[in-house]
Amino acid sequence: MTKLAVIRSSPNVVDGSQATADLVLEADVCIVGTGAGGAVTAATLARAGLTVLMLEEGGYFTHADFTMREKDTESRLYQEGMSRTTGDASIAILQGRAVGGTTVVNWTTCFRTPEDVVEHWKKKHGVAGFAYADLVPHYEAIEQRLAIAKVSYGSMNPNNKMLHDGCTKLGWGVDTLRRNVHACMQTGFCHLGCPVNAKRSMLVTMIPDAIDAGAKLVFRARADRFDVEAGSVKSLRGTLLDGEGRKPTGRAFTVKAKRFVVSGGAINSPALLLRSGIDAGGLVGTRTFLHPAVGSQAFYEEKIEPSRGAPQSAASHHFAHRGEEIGFFLEAVPWYPALIAATTPGFGAAHEAVFTQSPHMAIHIAITIDGFHDDVPGGRVRLRESGAPILDYPIGPKLWNAFRFGQKRLAEMQFASGAKTVRTLHEIPVVMTGKVDEAAIDAARWEGGSLPVSTAHQMGGCSMGDDPTTSVVRSEDLRCHTLANLHVIDGSVFPTSLGVNPQQSIYGLARLAATRIAAATRVR
Amino acid sequence: MPTSRRRFLRNGLVGGGLLALGGVSLAFYPSKEVGVPTEPLAALEARSFQVLVALVSRVVTAKGANPVAIAHGVDRSLSYALPETQEAINKLLGLFENALPGLLLDGRIKPFTRLSPESQDAVLESWRTSRIELRRNGYQALRKLALTAYYMEESSWGPLDYQPPPSLRAIAYDDSQVGTPEWLRARAEGDTP
Repeated sequence: MTKLAVIRSSPNVVDGSQATADLVLEADVCIVGTGAGGAVTAATLARAGLTVLMLEEGGYFTHADFTMREKDTESRLYQEGMSRTTGDASIAILQGRAVGGTTVVNWTTCFRTPEDVVEHWKKKHGVAGFAYADLVPHYEAIEQRLAIAKVSYGSMNPNNKMLHDGCTKLGWGVDTLRRNVHACMQTGFCHLGCPVNAKRSMLVTMIPDAIDAGAKLVFRARADRFDVEAGSVKSLRGTLLDGEGRKPTGRAFTVKAKRFVVSGGAINSPALLLRSGIDAGGLVGTRTFLHPAVGSQAFYEEKIEPSRGAPQSAASHHFAHRGEEIGFFLEAVPWYPALIAATTPGFGAAHEAVFTQSPHMAIHIAITIDGFHDDVPGGRVRLRESGAPILDYPIGPKLWNAFRFGQKRLAEMQFASGAKTVRTLHEIPVVMTGKVDEAAIDAARWEGGSLPVSTAHQMGGCSMGDDPTTSVVRSEDLRCHTLANLHVIDGSVFPTSLGVNPQQSIYGLARLAATRIAAATRVR
Repeated sequence: MPTSRRRFLRNGLVGGGLLALGGVSLAFYPSKEVGVPTEPLAALEARSFQVLVALVSRVVTAKGANPVAIAHGVDRSLSYALPETQEAINKLLGLFENALPGLLLDGRIKPFTRLSPESQDAVLESWRTSRIELRRNGYQALRKLALTAYYMEESSWGPLDYQPPPSLRAIAYDDSQVGTPEWLRARAEGDTP
C-alpha cells in the first residue's frame, strides 16, 4: 500500500456522505477548504502542534479516479459541475472542487508574486503587514516541497513551442515556465487530475502532510454559516453532501473551534462570509478579479497534437504593463475533445469542418491583468436565494479594448511561428490567412455571447489591507479586521489580480500567515 | 453555459405579458416527440428533453451521432450543476421551443421541435447572431452543452485523429514504473509522492 493510500484510509479522514448522524466536531483551528490556501495552512498549523480540522465540500479523489476522460471527471472535479459562469453567462469560470481544490486540476504553472505587484499593494492598498522579502523563505520552502522547477525548451510540446518561437521571432519577451511536477510523464491530463501523481498538488503533498501531523479531514462537508457573537466566531454550521456532492444527505455538522480559517477560494469564501452576515461594511465580495482571457486557434501544416505533453510550458509577459491600458500575458491552452469542441465556434457541419482539423491546431490565450486601473473595479459576489454565490463581472470598454489588442497580438505571434491560418473564437470568427487582419478583428462583434471569455484564475473578494474601511482582512496574518478569531487565507485576499498564474502566490502567502498564526498561538 | 436566473425571470415576465395579449395558443403549441428517453431524467424536464434532442440533431451532425444519447449526456452533466442552473436551462429550452417569441423574433409559427431541419438551422442562426444578449448567451449555453456531451464520448474521437489514452492506473499503482530513479529514491526515503 502506498503512503498516499494509507493516508486516504486513515481514521482521521472522514467521508461526510457516509455519516449516519449529525457530526459535532471540535478543534483548535477549523479550516474551510483544502485548496492552495487551506492545505498549506493546515499542514503548517498541524506541524506546529495545533489540532486542525479541514473541511471540504468536494470529494476525496485519487489518481485512480483520474481516468483522463472528461466524461468521468469534469463534473466531479469542478465547481457547479463545470457550469459555473458569471451572472450574465459571459465568462466561463474554471474552478476546482475536490480535496486539494483547484490544485488538483490546474495546469501546474508556478510563479512567485511579482515584486512590483507586492509593492503596488503596499502603496495603493495599504498592505503593510509583509514585504516581498518576507515571502521569499516561504516561496523557497514551497518550491522544495512541490518540486517546482523550470522546464527546458526541449521538453515543450509543439503547442507551447509555437508560442515560444513566435514571441522570440517578434522580439517579445518569453520564457519557459516553472511547474510543480516531479517525474512528469507528460500525459497532458493535468486538467482532469494527474493520473500518475506526478503533479505535486495539495492532494499529494500538503494534505497528506497535514494528516500525517494529526490533522483531521471531513470531506463532502459544505460550510453554510458562522455563528458570530461579541466580535468572534463561536461555531460553524454546515451540511453533509451525498457521495457525488450533488445533494444534501439530510445530515448536518457543527464545529466549535478557537480559530476559523476560510479557504474556499475567491467567490466561495466571500459567499460564506456574506451568508454569515459578515460584510465588512459592504466590502466583502467586491473587487473580485478574474484574469479574463480570450483565445485564438492557429492551424499549421505540421501536426501540433495539442493534447499531448505538458499543457503549459511557456509564457510571454511582454504586454503585461501597458500604462493606462490593461495589460495581458500570453499562454497556451491544452486540447481536450469536449473542452475545445465547446470553444470552437459554430454548429453542425461548419463546426465539424474546423474541429476535425484539431491535430494541426495550436491554441493560445491572452490573459488580461485586471485590478490595476481605477476605472476597472472587477466583479462582485452576491448570494442567490439559496445562498449559493453568483459573481457579477461587467466587462467594460477598457477590458474589451484589451481583448481586441490581445487578439491581434495572438494572431501576430501565431503567424510569426508559422501558422497558415488563424481563427478568432468569435461566434462569427475572423479567419485570417498569412497575416493579421487588424481591421477585421476590430470589426468583429466584441460583446457578451459573441465570443468565449473564460477565467481559470479567481482572485479577490476579501481584500487584504491595513485600513478596515477599505479592506476585509489585515495583511499581517489575514485576520478579519472585525473578528478576533476568523482568518481568510486563499486567493480571495489579493487586492488586485496578480498578472501571473496564482497558485504559488497563494501557497507563499498562506505559509507566511499560518507561520505567524502558529507563532502567536505559542504552542510547543 | 447557463444564463442568469434574473434574466430568465425578466424574460418570463415579458413572456407572461405577451400571453396576456392573446398569444396563448401559440405559446402552448405542443412539442413534437422527437426522441424517447432511455433512462430516467435527472435534471431536464420531459419537454425540455424533447427540445434538446431536436436541437442536438442540428448542432451535432457528425455521422453516427445519437441525439438521444447526447441529450442524456447533457442531462447527466446538468445533474451536477446548481438547482438554479438546472431550472434556468429548462426555462431556456422552453423559450427556445416557444412559438410565440419565435413568431415575434424569427417569424416562425411552429415550436422548434416541429420545424424542418432547415428552419431549425435558421432559428439557431438567428439566436447565434441576435442583437439580444440573452439569445446569444442562450444559444452558446445550449450549443456548448450539446457539443460537450457528444465529444466526451470516445465514439466521437475517430475523425479527430485522437486516440483514447491508455489507462495508466496500473503504472501509477506499480511504483517501479513511475518516473526516474531520483523519484524512486525519494519514495524509498518516505517522501510523499
